[in-house]
Amino acid sequence: MNEAEKKDETPKKDMKDVFAAVENLKCAIQRSQTFVEEFLSEPMCGKCHPCALGSYEALVRLKKIAAGVGSRADVDAIARIADQMLEGSRCKKGKDTAKFIIEALHTDTFSEHLEGRCRDRECPSYLIYRVIPDKCVMCGLCQEACRYNAILGEKKTSYRSGYRPFEIRQKRCVKCGECVAACPYGAIEIIDLKVRDEVKV
Amino acid sequence: MGNMVNVKIDGRDVQVEEGLNLIEAAEKAGVHIPNLCYIKGMKGIGACRLCLVELEGGRAPIIACNTRVKEGMSVLTDTEKVKEVRKFVIDLILSMHPLDCMTCTKAGVCNLQRYAYDFELKESNFTRKKFGYPIDESNPFIKRDPDYCVLCGQCIRVCQAQDTNVLEFEGRGVGAKVVTAKDLPLQESGCTFCGSCVDACPVNALLEADRWRKGREWEYEKTSSVCLSCGSGCSITVSTKDGEVVKINAGAPEGAAERYICAIGRFGFDSLYGDTRLSSPMKREGGVLKETSWEDALGTVAEKLKSAGAGASFISTANILNEDALLLKKLAADVVKTKDYDSSATLYSDYDALTAGSADLENADLFILVGTSPNQWTRVLPALDAVIRKRMNNAGAKLIVINSGDPKIASKATAVLKGDEAKMLEELAQAMISKGVKAPKEMVEALASVDPSDEAMNAADVFKDADSPVILAAPSLYKAASNLSLIKAEAVSVPLEANAKGVVLMGLMTEGKKFREIISSSSKVFYAVGEVPVSKRPETDFLVVQASHMTDLAKEADIVLPSASPLESDGTVVDYLGRLKEVKRAAMPVGESRTNAEIFIALAKAMGETLKMPKETEIKKALKGKAKVSFSPFKKDKDLDVDVEKFTEDINASTINGSRLLWLKETEKGVAA
Repeated sequence: MNEAEKKDETPKKDMKDVFAAVENLKCAIQRSQTFVEEFLSEPMCGKCHPCALGSYEALVRLKKIAAGVGSRADVDAIARIADQMLEGSRCKKGKDTAKFIIEALHTDTFSEHLEGRCRDRECPSYLIYRVIPDKCVMCGLCQEACRYNAILGEKKTSYRSGYRPFEIRQKRCVKCGECVAACPYGAIEIIDLKVRDEVKV
Repeated sequence: MGNMVNVKIDGRDVQVEEGLNLIEAAEKAGVHIPNLCYIKGMKGIGACRLCLVELEGGRAPIIACNTRVKEGMSVLTDTEKVKEVRKFVIDLILSMHPLDCMTCTKAGVCNLQRYAYDFELKESNFTRKKFGYPIDESNPFIKRDPDYCVLCGQCIRVCQAQDTNVLEFEGRGVGAKVVTAKDLPLQESGCTFCGSCVDACPVNALLEADRWRKGREWEYEKTSSVCLSCGSGCSITVSTKDGEVVKINAGAPEGAAERYICAIGRFGFDSLYGDTRLSSPMKREGGVLKETSWEDALGTVAEKLKSAGAGASFISTANILNEDALLLKKLAADVVKTKDYDSSATLYSDYDALTAGSADLENADLFILVGTSPNQWTRVLPALDAVIRKRMNNAGAKLIVINSGDPKIASKATAVLKGDEAKMLEELAQAMISKGVKAPKEMVEALASVDPSDEAMNAADVFKDADSPVILAAPSLYKAASNLSLIKAEAVSVPLEANAKGVVLMGLMTEGKKFREIISSSSKVFYAVGEVPVSKRPETDFLVVQASHMTDLAKEADIVLPSASPLESDGTVVDYLGRLKEVKRAAMPVGESRTNAEIFIALAKAMGETLKMPKETEIKKALKGKAKVSFSPFKKDKDLDVDVEKFTEDINASTINGSRLLWLKETEKGVAA
């Protein structure tokens, strides 16, 4: 074995790292997606078909749900993948991944997402950031914090009127949360996309 | 045969051999356990997971390919649980596989298609994945289309098992791909184009390059025959459509180490329809060869032979059939009444080396190669090289190489005895004796003064431990090597032509001049059969060449008789392991060409005599003339040294130059340069 190969072998991600990567996540969709993504990135050895091909397909479906375009068929597919991976995979790594997904499926999270709600507010596609006009003092800190130029509005200076109020342009917003952290007055709220749509109706 | 064990498969009681895995055991009971990655004769790797089965009383499903039968085992191959996993895997594979069975060349023999049918999958339930990998069509032999790959890894493993090591996986999971090292085209990756990977591929990912619109499996007529291109005499399966050969596959049983054919055997058949193929008799008139009728050609030859009598000489290749050889001998000895008839087998072998011994490679656990240098890469006895490597890699067999040179296969050997072969054999025999192995008295006496080297002692340890060793010797060393078989092991010589043993057993061995003398002396009529390794016209009044191609010698002939190729003939041969093998006609002879046997019979008739097509009993009777091995001095017959590489190429020159193998020859030259 030459040096390069040796180097290749040492710093390997294992299942511990995969579990660690999802430790701070709450939403079962986000947790599953990240778990499978991390699993595929390295520990997945590719030695057996159910796991190698199944986990990839599971990720495709999880991404769809996380993006808000999932359907019942996707959840069913994920359930089937997890069941068969548990039964058919060659080693513990594949079975652990299957078990992780099965556990996630036991919660109501998947159904809630299909209905358009991410309770843990971790799936960006399900959320919307909004300035609460009543709380906003027009200090402009959020605008300075936003790296994506997604916040419009004019900073308040003395003896002027006719300001353009602060608002978030949804097209540009990536839902990074920087503005929420920057606002000293708690004037930016995160609400479900679905709720907003309901309000509109 | 091993011990039998009683097992239950899906409730049915069966008796199977101990040591079988569950896939093979089930097959004996008539139950097919689905699988994609299992290769018969190799250890199961459990990658596809299709072969999952349940054991009665067992907890989780287990893979059948890697589980051996045990007494009392009750296997359930078709439970809901395992069926679900199988369907799931096929469903996933279908999601990345083109759904074009309607135009796919492999339709009908594709395992994916078969299982999709079994599991009622019209299309995949999963997300369609498209790769659009480039197709490798840069050689005329093997087309690689990775889009069809099901990642079973069979091609990689068969390639590795025979040590050609061209293919490997790149990546893993969905994005994985079978590639060559550095993704170079096959011809730059050390590929020998044996096509073992094509035989292994269960789908359309690896295919003979010229198969597009040449019909599909169910349209082919299949004929089991033998390739007569070299001393290996491999079994082949010839597929024909509308009377033309479409492809040739390895014909040995699945799982056998001998299931291998080389590029010449697999792809050389184009030469049947090549430019140099002879399709009608020719006669020299006014210095030029012109087409003529059989009647005229045979009449002329008959007349010349009649007047020549004992002044006529016959030479033949040793890749004609037993029937041909028997008839040729009768024609020469009884009809023409000459003593000078010989085959090219005598260039590299004596009588005893070709008529003694038999061996079984499939169960050998030690090979002792004496002076013979099989090599897949130079295509000298390539099948023997592959068989040895497969037995070593798949079954842990060992190898002792005794050679004065540096054959490539020596790097694989457990022990190498380099030096004068006869001397090395003496040392090995003496080492065996010194380790207390019994040997005939005269051998013990003859070797009394021999002091074996350390290497010989080590080799003797290996030899002593082996249960079924096989000695494979160059014919020139057979007598010396077969002495070892008096101590232990079976010994055979490995001739360079497919039916050398049969030809000699049939009596086609001179009573007068030998091959070399015949070509260097003058004759009244010189009659050459087949692609003999003679390129210049010998000193003769009249030259008759009977061949299927316009060889260099044929160009100088007075009469050319077009003969059928082995693929167009019926008969038998005796291979190097001493087995009688059947050669069957797969296609009709091209044009007006006739089989060798037909030509000899017609010629005898034209001379007013009757020769009859030999019956099976006559052939079998001739086979009984086998020699017995007895102790003879450890000596090499130096007169029998030939350049094996050149010899092999010479006897196949028309096949190589008249087919896509010419491309390979040129390309290999280019890559080497």
